[in-house]
Amino acid sequence: MTTSPSSAAPTRAPGGPAAAAPGTSLTPVFVRLKLSLLRNGLRQSTGRTVAYVASLLLSLLCAAGVLVGLVALRGVEHAGALGVLLVALLTLGWAVMPLFFPGGDETLDPTRLVMLPLRPRPLIFSMLIVSLVGIGPVFTLALAVGSVIMLAHGAAAAVTGVLAVVLVILVCVALARAVATANVRLLTSRRGRDLAVLSGLFIALGGQAVNLASQKLFGAGAAGLSALEPASDVVRWIPPASAVDAVRAASEGAYGRAVLGLALAAVALFLLLWWWRRTLTTVMTSPDSSTLQAVEKDSGRKQRAAGGGLQRLLPESRTGTVMLRMLRYAWRDPKTKMGWAMAFGVGLLIPVVSVVQGNGSIYTAFSASALLGMQMYNQFGQDTSAFWMVASTISTPRDAYLELRGRALGLALAAVPFVTVVVIGAAALLGPWSAFWDVYGLSLALLGSLVATGALASAVFPYSIPSEGNKNIAPGQGAIAWFSLLGGMLVSAVFAAPMAGLTIWLHVAGLHGLLWLLVPVGAAYGIGVAFLGMRMAAPRVVARLPEILAAVSKG
Amino acid sequence: MANEPEHIDQSAVAGTAPAGPDGGRDGAVPPAVRVRGLWKKYGEQIAVAGIDLTLPAGRFIGLVGPNGAGKTTTLSMVTGLLRPDAGQVEIGGHDVWQDPVAVKSRIGVLPEGLRLFERLSGRELLSYIGRLRGLPGAEVDKRADQLLEVLDLSGAQNKLVVDYSTGMRKKIGLAAALLHNPEILFLDEPFEGVDPVSAQTIRGVLERYTSSGATVVFSSHVMELVESLCDWVAVIAGGRIRSDGPLAEVRGDAPSLQDAFLELVGAGDRAAGHDLDWLGGGSAR
Repeated sequence: MTTSPSSAAPTRAPGGPAAAAPGTSLTPVFVRLKLSLLRNGLRQSTGRTVAYVASLLLSLLCAAGVLVGLVALRGVEHAGALGVLLVALLTLGWAVMPLFFPGGDETLDPTRLVMLPLRPRPLIFSMLIVSLVGIGPVFTLALAVGSVIMLAHGAAAAVTGVLAVVLVILVCVALARAVATANVRLLTSRRGRDLAVLSGLFIALGGQAVNLASQKLFGAGAAGLSALEPASDVVRWIPPASAVDAVRAASEGAYGRAVLGLALAAVALFLLLWWWRRTLTTVMTSPDSSTLQAVEKDSGRKQRAAGGGLQRLLPESRTGTVMLRMLRYAWRDPKTKMGWAMAFGVGLLIPVVSVVQGNGSIYTAFSASALLGMQMYNQFGQDTSAFWMVASTISTPRDAYLELRGRALGLALAAVPFVTVVVIGAAALLGPWSAFWDVYGLSLALLGSLVATGALASAVFPYSIPSEGNKNIAPGQGAIAWFSLLGGMLVSAVFAAPMAGLTIWLHVAGLHGLLWLLVPVGAAYGIGVAFLGMRMAAPRVVARLPEILAAVSKG
Repeated sequence: MANEPEHIDQSAVAGTAPAGPDGGRDGAVPPAVRVRGLWKKYGEQIAVAGIDLTLPAGRFIGLVGPNGAGKTTTLSMVTGLLRPDAGQVEIGGHDVWQDPVAVKSRIGVLPEGLRLFERLSGRELLSYIGRLRGLPGAEVDKRADQLLEVLDLSGAQNKLVVDYSTGMRKKIGLAAALLHNPEILFLDEPFEGVDPVSAQTIRGVLERYTSSGATVVFSSHVMELVESLCDWVAVIAGGRIRSDGPLAEVRGDAPSLQDAFLELVGAGDRAAGHDLDWLGGGSAR
């Protein structure tokens, strides 16, 4: 970098880029590169711009809120524990973020710079500085400054605080960069992309966990901030939270501990930078993943006799074949796995949240059958354009019926036990047991109705599910998807209405001794409606095979 | 690679098509494919503009044309994966849209640009599609074993298709298309992006398949390949058939199929490189 080819040298001004230290010239280039990538990304669509500006404003509001909130807690007992844990949580976020959003920052991927003659030390310096530009660092700054203001009392603590803020931000950023670089192979491989698809799930479930935890903490009769002490006793030794604890120690006059806390964070920063530099050098001097992909062996499965146990348990007909493929996809395909996990997770979460809040009703258990039943929707969209393989084996309404029935049975294999467990759990924890027959019978009828309408919607309103990214509907098909889901829910409610009518009638007529009948009647009704719906859907599937294929191939 | 008349004669003799240059048009055996007035429009753009085509049974048939000529659209409509705006398609004498039961069991398809069930391993994919087609499980496993062996996929049979290379994907797609022993095989760009070793394997399997009297229809824009493999050619450009018939007839007096093709699609006299007189040599900047 410091010497240039003789032909180009005369055109350069003395003291220009060729003569300057690489570190000082590289940083503005990287900053401009990052801003250009951001600008060009936003230029692609107005929707993206709106989303970005909205998330920017939201983040700034959150950052301001966190800052104000922490400052307001100044002087409160156990505030030290809160500050330590918040910073530790944020650090954890920085560590996992690059794994879930690998495409979020183009400059993050050092393999893109591999053809440039750059030395690791200036490269790391510049990349670290560039990483400080963005929403994440601003939020981190707000949280760190807030924590320090909350905890610092006295001049020594203030000085410690300034050092702590700098250390917290640098450690967080260096951690994210080092993790990203160490995992760049994973992130550019198929498994990494699979992982990224599941990120939404982790965020949704993690958000609920935080929500429940905060309810426990700040809800009526809860222990308050003192509940944090046991956890923070451990976490206060982990950098960079140790730097925040140093501020508390300095305020209390424990200067030895303060110095130790800051030193721990500084050592962590040094080690992270060393690790980052080492992995960066390795990554940039060895073949990249596109070369290695040809010999990638990671999905090699152990040869199993006759295809494993599941295959032997299922019938050999089309039904068993379809069920087996469906269950394998539920486990192996990230988008399908995400759909199932969301259905199970949210279906379980609604009653669980009711239990935790203590004011729930057993009727929240309907969420289980509603969410599982919705998995029957857009069945062919879940196949992506591989639906052509299915289409090429469907010639008659009978074939289509068997295909739909196989999928419905695969769904029922998971849904019926799950709904049963959730309803029993809700009856036991929320009660009363007297409502068990109502809820279970209606749940089964609702599940059957959703299978029926799902089969019809799959035939009439198919849409594509893009396999990459977090979108679940291909552009331009949103209206179809929402119409099919909303319409389907309404029609399902109508289908399940006779069962609801029967339930109400039994209650009004005072025939409480006969309420147990609701379960067998509900099961039979659900099965009947489901099979009727599939019978109605089958000829539509046959008649619309090319149209369905075209609709599901857009992703 | 360029011109192998001996090979062409061999496969023509080996085929069971009735004698005569227009094989099967007036014989007892119905033609493999008969297309009448096939049209397809995407919005304003006409992809296929009235194709009439009769392809004899028992031949190795190449559908050639430049990119965007309508090859994929035509093959998709012929195999029942895309609904035409107008026109009639018969396969082995059965209408594709009126009699799908007879047609779908007789044809094998390897489309271009559509996925496979990639989260299954190669073996699981064959097991799945074979059972979906109603073949007995033991028979599916036996055929899958042999196909994986012949196509050199045995070592990767337990690997997910999503981790396969392009050549391996084409081979597993070919295996899936052959599993039910179809009479007619439709392959859309089977050699596109395929390495020479895999290409030779695919070629060997296809030659063995046609020598038993079955029909292969495949699309390509690599003329040398078509010339060395096929004994019957249809040239498509701008959504229309420009010429079709036995290879020798389509080639005519031209030195190679490439030259005949360029003349047929009207691209023969394009002056290439006229404006690039600065390019080359490396001396000038």
